[in-house]
Amino acid sequence: MLFENNDFDFDLLSLSGLNLDTSQMIYNNQNYFNDMNSNKLYSSKEGFLRGNMWVNEYVPYKGMNYMNLVPTCEREALLYKIMEVDFAINDLNLYLDLHPEDYEVYNQFKKYVTECIRLKDDYSKKYGPLSLEETTKEKYNWLNNPWPWDKTGGSMYV
Amino acid sequence: MFKYMKTLNYPVNIKKKDLKMARYLLTQFGGANSELAASLRYFSQKFSMPDEKGKALLNDIATEELGHVEMIATMVKQLTEGASPEEMKNAGLGDIYSEHGMGLYPTNASGSPFTATYFAVTGDVLADLSEDMAAEQKARAVYENLINLSTDKDVIGPLLFLRQREIIHFNRFNELYNYYKKKGY
Repeated sequence: MLFENNDFDFDLLSLSGLNLDTSQMIYNNQNYFNDMNSNKLYSSKEGFLRGNMWVNEYVPYKGMNYMNLVPTCEREALLYKIMEVDFAINDLNLYLDLHPEDYEVYNQFKKYVTECIRLKDDYSKKYGPLSLEETTKEKYNWLNNPWPWDKTGGSMYV
Repeated sequence: MFKYMKTLNYPVNIKKKDLKMARYLLTQFGGANSELAASLRYFSQKFSMPDEKGKALLNDIATEELGHVEMIATMVKQLTEGASPEEMKNAGLGDIYSEHGMGLYPTNASGSPFTATYFAVTGDVLADLSEDMAAEQKARAVYENLINLSTDKDVIGPLLFLRQREIIHFNRFNELYNYYKKKGY
């Protein structure tokens, strides 16, 4: 087993000393699945780490566990959360393309879309735009480093 | 059209230089079963999908795969960060370095440049989807080989993620294939 002791600790809540207004919302996100078939879909975080939202379609390679993502700062934690929710939207999107009549999954999809808009808005206000439409500050900052492929001292987005 | 979002599909944060691994990984950027081939294959095939399900699925998987191209390119870049020409040469990257320096150029692991022959478009929905299913399985197999070649968890983590995506894409294409087959295509 390459990756052991995964404890899903990239929530903002797990970073000590933080008191962000998004924390409660992010925490609540984990309860999305209480009112639906929880055996069918992973939570967005569990799905993101596995690369797959669908419980019965996850096929680990040679019993290897997925990598644990540990953010190094508040900014990275919020970015991981956005990537996580964006991933959930993408994976449900592929399923809904073939099953547009599945309202249980579509309702879940809509929750993630709303969540993603809120998180991206929060991120762009604090740290800069992730999309051109969020580039609204006095100074043009779309071009500012880091870009996603940059490595800054071993840790990106810092 | 496409719009850029300034994140990767999944985090890539490789701290250890590994030129040999970079060379192996290059094949998922510019090889026959690469993310680039997958993305452009599905992008081209979407134009001849017969109904809304096929158009949507091919379009949306093509888009996701373009994000995977960026992940692989990022991995190669980070694995080669700070390498000297001497180190490139010793890792078997001398030929690539002589033509492309430290720039990213899509080739397979043995240096053959990317070519459009990597993606087949027949205009026949069952033939195209069979091709796509095979491509996803081949890409999954390549990811497993790459995982076997690495000992760095920062490399293996993103590869495990990408491998699982191939499995999901295969399942979706398979479902679409069966749906069209049933419809009499």
